Amino acid sequence: MRLTDDVELLDGLPIAYIRSINALAVADLHLGYEGVASKGIALLPKVNLSNIMKSISTAIKKTGANAVIVDGDIKNEFSRVDQEEFNELYDFIMFGKSERVSLILIKGNHDNFVERYKDSFKLKIYRQEADIGGYLFFHGEYLPENITKNTTMLVMGHEHPSIGVYNSIGSKERLRCFLYGKYMGVPLLILPAMNYFAGGTEMNSEPRSSLLSPIFKKADPNGMNAIVVGYGSTMDFGKVGKLRGLRA
Amino acid sequence: MIEFVDKSFSDSESLDVLNGYVREWFTKNFSELTPPQKYSFKLISEKKNVLIAAPTGSGKTMSAFLSILNSLFNKSLAGELERKIYCIYVSPLRSLNNDIYKNLGKPLEEVYDAMKKDNGINIIKGNMTEVTIGVRTGDTSQKERRQQLAKPPNILITTPESLAILINSEKFMENMKGLEYIVVDEIHELANNKRGVHLSLSIERLQDMVKGRITRIGLGATLYPLEEAAKFLVGFNGETPRDCKIVDASWSKELDVRAMSPVKDMISSSNEKIEDSMYEEINAIIKASKTTLIFTNTRSGTERVVFNLKHRFKYGEDIAAHHSSLSRDSRLDVEELLKKGSLKCAVSSTSLELGVDIGTIENVIQLGSPKSVTRAIQRIGRAGHSFRAKARGEMIVLNRDDLVECTVMLDAALKKHLDSFTVPRNALDVLAQHIVGMSLNKKWTVDEAYAVVRSSYAYSDLERHDFISLLNYLSGKYVGLESRHVYGKIWYDEDEGAFGRRGMYAKPIYMLNLGTIPDEVAVNVLLSSSKAWIGNIEEEFLTRLKPGDIFSLGGRLYRFEYAKGTKCYVSEAHTNLPTIPPWFSEQLPLSYELADEIGEFRAKMSAFVLGNTKKKRADAGRARIGIYRTLKGGKIPTEASDFLSLYPIDSNAKHAIFGYFVEQALFAGAIPSNKLIVIETTNEEKTGTESVVFHSLFGRKINDALSRLVAFEVGMMLDEDVSIMVNDNGFILSAGKSVKFADRVIKDAISKLLEADIELLLKENIRKTELMKRRFRHVAGRSFMILRNYRGWKQSVGRQQVNAQILLKAAEEIDPNFPVIKETYREIFSDVMDLARTKKVLDMIRSGMIKYKMIKTGSPSPFAHTLFAFGHADVVLMKDRQAYLKYLHKLVMKSIKSGK
Repeated sequence: MRLTDDVELLDGLPIAYIRSINALAVADLHLGYEGVASKGIALLPKVNLSNIMKSISTAIKKTGANAVIVDGDIKNEFSRVDQEEFNELYDFIMFGKSERVSLILIKGNHDNFVERYKDSFKLKIYRQEADIGGYLFFHGEYLPENITKNTTMLVMGHEHPSIGVYNSIGSKERLRCFLYGKYMGVPLLILPAMNYFAGGTEMNSEPRSSLLSPIFKKADPNGMNAIVVGYGSTMDFGKVGKLRGLRA
Repeated sequence: MIEFVDKSFSDSESLDVLNGYVREWFTKNFSELTPPQKYSFKLISEKKNVLIAAPTGSGKTMSAFLSILNSLFNKSLAGELERKIYCIYVSPLRSLNNDIYKNLGKPLEEVYDAMKKDNGINIIKGNMTEVTIGVRTGDTSQKERRQQLAKPPNILITTPESLAILINSEKFMENMKGLEYIVVDEIHELANNKRGVHLSLSIERLQDMVKGRITRIGLGATLYPLEEAAKFLVGFNGETPRDCKIVDASWSKELDVRAMSPVKDMISSSNEKIEDSMYEEINAIIKASKTTLIFTNTRSGTERVVFNLKHRFKYGEDIAAHHSSLSRDSRLDVEELLKKGSLKCAVSSTSLELGVDIGTIENVIQLGSPKSVTRAIQRIGRAGHSFRAKARGEMIVLNRDDLVECTVMLDAALKKHLDSFTVPRNALDVLAQHIVGMSLNKKWTVDEAYAVVRSSYAYSDLERHDFISLLNYLSGKYVGLESRHVYGKIWYDEDEGAFGRRGMYAKPIYMLNLGTIPDEVAVNVLLSSSKAWIGNIEEEFLTRLKPGDIFSLGGRLYRFEYAKGTKCYVSEAHTNLPTIPPWFSEQLPLSYELADEIGEFRAKMSAFVLGNTKKKRADAGRARIGIYRTLKGGKIPTEASDFLSLYPIDSNAKHAIFGYFVEQALFAGAIPSNKLIVIETTNEEKTGTESVVFHSLFGRKINDALSRLVAFEVGMMLDEDVSIMVNDNGFILSAGKSVKFADRVIKDAISKLLEADIELLLKENIRKTELMKRRFRHVAGRSFMILRNYRGWKQSVGRQQVNAQILLKAAEEIDPNFPVIKETYREIFSDVMDLARTKKVLDMIRSGMIKYKMIKTGSPSPFAHTLFAFGHADVVLMKDRQAYLKYLHKLVMKSIKSGK
């Protein structure tokens, strides 16, 4: 789906493609998730990394992008780098190499210690936000600081947005989505989580006050468009406010 | 071979198996042998496996234990009694454990006292020792545990869960190597569920570990079929069940029961009048009896009845409530008071229907249908403690479906038609636990372990590939080698065909997480505006809620908005009708057999009624008025009256039933039965939407499956989302306001369904439901995929729930037949629903044995009313419902009077 002349939301993938900088934008990979969970509470089968690689690989083939911008939370653990996590991080970096794309990481709240690998893997890491070709990337746990009149679009992750759809036989389906709206007059794109396991924040039922990102103190989520990803396509469902109490 | 023992032994034959001391003690304390004892003393003394079915108060405990005590005293007399465990007693109820402990304490002490008098010298020499007894449950203190290890009791009283722990305790197992007997009590509470399945595997593992053959004794109340229960108890040896003798003394107690309607006309009497009259009836019974036990179907109902009785008739501390939400202490208090005879009346939901000794109850009152013949008998059987006493009981009903149900139920009870139970077969989650447990015991070859597992009846036809898929899952085969140390709970070498222990965490995981009862979640209900806490609802209830649904909590109505984890956000609703009944999750499902018998009853009644009404429809006018008088309480035609007189009901009830059928016949011209499904397209006037009512009286487990299937097909054809309301008597489909259900669509949907692979269809249908997620969480927990307890960290259920969702998705990705998923479907299809019988019903429709008939009505017909008012209510909590029922009834009567 074409979002703007320069930005394409790739059909069925939680990935945005920005033509002018020939880069893919993704967020919230949370690599190592299963390994960490499995040491404690639940034996999650490993499916996250392989799914992410498949999606990105498809996107690269479609667009010819030569960079992947990870808009925060490439890994999962806050406090340490778990062995399982490291293995996956390593595999992901090697994957980037084999696809011949450069990896650019905007640090998120889960990304402690990643700087350790910066040099050995030639990773490009930005601490909080980065202006790349007029697109201001930031993870979303803090507000963006350097908005200028040259800022074309704000791009963030963090929130894991999704839309809950109920049907009347008692089942509910959660579909991940992009959110597209404005913050301080500048277009704002919120990326869905790449992580396979992220259920996501149900934008159409959650009250504004319990959302994670401080951005929603100023940007009303009800006024943003939910662009739903799933079942091989990407579709604009309209304003979040209109989707409250949605039943299919 | 499993066989019933028809002939009891003579008293002297039975008593001759006992040694002098035991015999003397018995004859001094009991004046005669009870029916089960006339079989059991001798059979058990011959070390036969025995299943004893007998009502409460028939000396069951002694019938199982006396021969065992006798053999232990013989050992003691011969100086051969060692400090080890000879007998294990397992009961699902902890409180029963204390009872047994006390009950056995007396003979142990008294017989030994008598022995001491004659054998002083042996005692001094240390040749003769006391027979000892001990209790081991989750409540047993560390100190006692240590003592039990050092000085094991000869008889160990325990629960299924504690037993599962003990068989994985190497030191304790040393004390059990000489085990001779295992007694399984309350087998009717175990054989039909996973807790029992779990126990059956523990017993087989135990049998595999001890030296000799264990004699198995099962005790149960009323249950059917007993052959199944026997197989469950004794298991298989190779391809055939082990030998077992069945002693069926379950009918040794006579029943004296009837169904009563508090008023003649349950529809036009005011709520107040019905309630007044019900409490008057109850009070009269309480006054006339020494002690009365009242059963309601819900905990809230129990509270309400206690409150009303105290309030209306000035009872004080002589009336008490007993239900599972009360603290253990207050329940024990009530039990004690009952035993002492100092309570006039106790009110209970389900908690007193089980074996705890509660002394002599003179009368049992059941409010509303208990939904199964077996349960009815168990409850009423609480009356008249001695086996010679008649069990007296009354069932008071407050709506007409309930009345018909109870009438047929009591008739079935008197005719000894019980509903059947089934043993869950091949439950993979329970097996997963035991495989981990087994791997901790030793290194196994796959063949050897598979054989032990298959010796449990619950797994006697377990497929080998299912067993292997569990080994693969538990050894972490679905992740790469480098991660297996994290995922694997057992070590498994495919080439060698062997498995065993892995790592140091497997044992604590097993010990801390075993068991089959899932953590229950109390969902907090909060106002979305102020976040003020309103109360709790059960998780199951939450899974039924959709945004916009209205439900009542603490007497007020709330609109559901959204849920997050274990919090549920609502706003106040300003209407007077809830869309979801509050008792939903507490409601027991009607058994299939009983549903079928009610269907049969309906068929018979419709023969009397339809003939009459058709004739009279023809000459309308005067005759119609005659019928109308009958409805108003006039005389019932002779043949119908004679027929109804065969049932254990009072005259109010007779009138109410007849009137109910006449109304249905006059209004709809069709009466559904077990051979006829009436499909009624109707308008629900309050909302103006068209609905289709399927009068399919097959019980909720079948209707649950059937309704989803029909809704799915109809929905596909109309391209609409169809909503379902379901209860034991049928289900309702409806869609949006403008949606019409043409007959052709319904017919096509049914014929499509008759050709479909319904299992596949249902799988697709429930894959994304909350029901699936919730059950998956339970199964994943039992399979050790989600750990409640890990390295001492207790995980909240909310967390488990979140995990379960993503876990399900990931597991599906790896393999749609992943054992944990497979088990979830199995559980839903055979425990929540009854897929096997749903298939049978569809077969019968296909072959024409069950017909269906489509009718159109302007407003719902009388038989649909309770469905529209949301299934069966707890009779004591039904004011709102009744207002609605009356409204529907008015519509019907208007139509009948006007001659439609």
